[in-house]
Amino acid sequence: MFDAIPYLWLIPAFPLAASVLTAFLGPRLLRKHSHWPCIVGAVLSCILAFGVLVAIGRQGTEIREYYTWFQAGDVYVGFTLRADALTAIMLVTVTFISSLIAIYSVGYMHAEEGYARFFAEIALFLFSMTGLVLAENLLLLYAFWEGVGLCSYLLIGFWFTKPSAAEAARKAFLVTRLGDIGFLIGILVIWSQFHLNGQPLYALDYKTVFDAVGQAGFEGPITAACLLLFCGAVGKSAQFPLHVWLPDAMEGPTPVSALIHAATMVTAGVYMVARCTPLFERAPDAQLVVGCIGGFTALLAALIALTQNDLKRVLAYSTISQLGYMFLALGSATRPELDRANPLVTMAVVAAIFHLFTHAFFKALLFLAAGSVMHAMGNIIDMRRFGGLRYALPWTRWTFLSGAAALAGFPLLSGFWSKDEILSAVAFAGEEGHPYRAAYVVLLIVGLVTAGLTAFYTFRAYFLTFSGELRTPPEAGHHVHESPPVMVVPLVILAIGALVIGIIVEPFTHWFSGFLALTPYFTPIHEHEFNWLLMVGSSIIALGGIGLAWFLYVFQPGVVTRLASAVPGLYQLSLNKFYLDELYSFFLVQPVLGLAAFGRAFDLYVVDGLVDLLGQVPRFLGLMFRPIQNGLAQFYALAMALGLAVFLIALVWRYGW
Amino acid sequence: MNPVPMLANYLVVGAILFALGAVGFLARRNLIIMFLSAEMMLQGVALNLVAFARARANLQGQAFTLFIITVAACEAGIALALILMLYRSRRSLDVSLWQDLREAGQEPTVDEEPLPLEPVSAPLPRLSPAGLEPQQQEETSHV
Repeated sequence: MFDAIPYLWLIPAFPLAASVLTAFLGPRLLRKHSHWPCIVGAVLSCILAFGVLVAIGRQGTEIREYYTWFQAGDVYVGFTLRADALTAIMLVTVTFISSLIAIYSVGYMHAEEGYARFFAEIALFLFSMTGLVLAENLLLLYAFWEGVGLCSYLLIGFWFTKPSAAEAARKAFLVTRLGDIGFLIGILVIWSQFHLNGQPLYALDYKTVFDAVGQAGFEGPITAACLLLFCGAVGKSAQFPLHVWLPDAMEGPTPVSALIHAATMVTAGVYMVARCTPLFERAPDAQLVVGCIGGFTALLAALIALTQNDLKRVLAYSTISQLGYMFLALGSATRPELDRANPLVTMAVVAAIFHLFTHAFFKALLFLAAGSVMHAMGNIIDMRRFGGLRYALPWTRWTFLSGAAALAGFPLLSGFWSKDEILSAVAFAGEEGHPYRAAYVVLLIVGLVTAGLTAFYTFRAYFLTFSGELRTPPEAGHHVHESPPVMVVPLVILAIGALVIGIIVEPFTHWFSGFLALTPYFTPIHEHEFNWLLMVGSSIIALGGIGLAWFLYVFQPGVVTRLASAVPGLYQLSLNKFYLDELYSFFLVQPVLGLAAFGRAFDLYVVDGLVDLLGQVPRFLGLMFRPIQNGLAQFYALAMALGLAVFLIALVWRYGW
Repeated sequence: MNPVPMLANYLVVGAILFALGAVGFLARRNLIIMFLSAEMMLQGVALNLVAFARARANLQGQAFTLFIITVAACEAGIALALILMLYRSRRSLDVSLWQDLREAGQEPTVDEEPLPLEPVSAPLPRLSPAGLEPQQQEETSHV
């Protein structure tokens, strides 16, 4: 059978080639066919990724070294790719979803100005993300990490002539950079502070670091390193307090939102923390922080999502919330005793990655369906402006509904299984014997509450958009039409994925967890028990949320406004995103702007003033001598004669006759 | 005969010529006079050179002098042509009328005692084309 491992390097190479090709040929030669390199590259990568998945299942981890990046003494950083189970899962998710999104974009972006630029950037994004997943050492990971940040900047600011888009792009870039600085410092801390038997580590490849961390003579500030690495994840995966960029990233085209939310950008942080599990599991304190930030973000974002009027914004906050879930799971992966393997670690990481996997399907689906709504509504996305689209957009409606049900954790759909795994992992961490038992019990409750809120706001968005009487904004034109097949087909594929992928891969076959346990440093899980109590409880909560949404928005629509006016403070708080943007603006952005204004004034008036003063000196001297130049020939002649006379007198004075 | 006192005489005459020329160049305002003064300075220098050549009994000074005379001749041609052009543009030979090369923004030097303007002479008679009888003016025709 075909072995994909020797062609590992082609997985990032295909999108890169597509990107370069489109960038150079697109605007001139390809024009309306600029999508072909990107789609072909993405699909080929996807096929190879499936090949890698099969190959990993057969032969285990592979590390391929292609090129020495730099080497000095014992320090070696190579362009090395790694294929193991975690990478394979990520690769399949990323390339599959990206391929569908690229195909969908053909329909969505068809009349856009920068058609070729769009696909070149999408392909570059895919290159960065596959490279990030395949990287074998932390520095290479960091390089691709920044590449992902750059591509997100380019794509969010795709309509760069629109000031709000340009600002959103800048915000996304700067906020994620803030986390990236922590990430870089974390890498440097690992590099310089980790010692094994008194020797510094020097190497940054995963194997060296993880092996060293597990050994007896190891010493190093592991909690600090983990927290710094987590900073990067907080920025990239939009966790509190750096989550503010993600909702603004809606300014980009909708396929870009889908790409960022489902496949490429925000999953990078989750992947990185999952990848560094051998590091994190030794630092229970850091893991508690990870879990708490995850849980808090999940709750906060869900509360904000309750009242948003912009369909895409609801989805954006739900992404933040679901990412919070993933970190909640990752945060419960601790192993305080070095020598005892703890099944909790693998269980938690599997739960997080499983949720990432299913979430990629239904979140991409939801965004693409929202894009389809937007496409039909003439780029209007405010849910107050339209409604009752269920007959006008039947395909969009059914696919959106399946995505929403999966996100809400409707029993037996994919979101249900993955959410359940997360909750049981957290519940497991809250059991007896865990050092931070009480905190994890609280986090479990937070997770359950968030599950209910998720179901509620998801179906609020669904009911507001699709139920009731048909209302369309004037921008939509007279005839509201369903999107073309090139957009609907990816929606249907994703909808099938959102409905059944969860039940296929995990709860009964345990293929997913078994496969993921092939990753080095993960221990296989032997006992698979359904936590029936939790499962039934979360089902009831999810159904309750859905029912409440139905009651408030379909059955008795008047109650909502009365409810909102009953607690105006809470309503405003949620509607205005807890005023976090305003708080940041007041405490961080304004002082920095003030400092910048001061610096500018200092430069303009003090530094430039000094330089200008120096420049004025020759000018002033010139002013003094200017009257000499009066244009009279005889005056010049006189000056010459006098000068000569002075010279001669001086000569005589000095040497005598 | 000792050539040295003779040399001194020549040098003194040369110096006087040069000084007179210099004073004339600086003090006079008529362009032609100024030009003549400059020529006089040249001659003073040329005399010096010839005297030295004689005193040293070689030809270098004389060769130099030849050059000076040649250059002075060329200069005379160009300078007179220029003076003619200047005269045509301003109808005057006063050197102080040409101050245009002064620094921008500088006030022109105003002459307290301007030279009297030359009377505008009658235009030259227009000649009739060949083969035509010249028109005679009435005053002249009845003399």
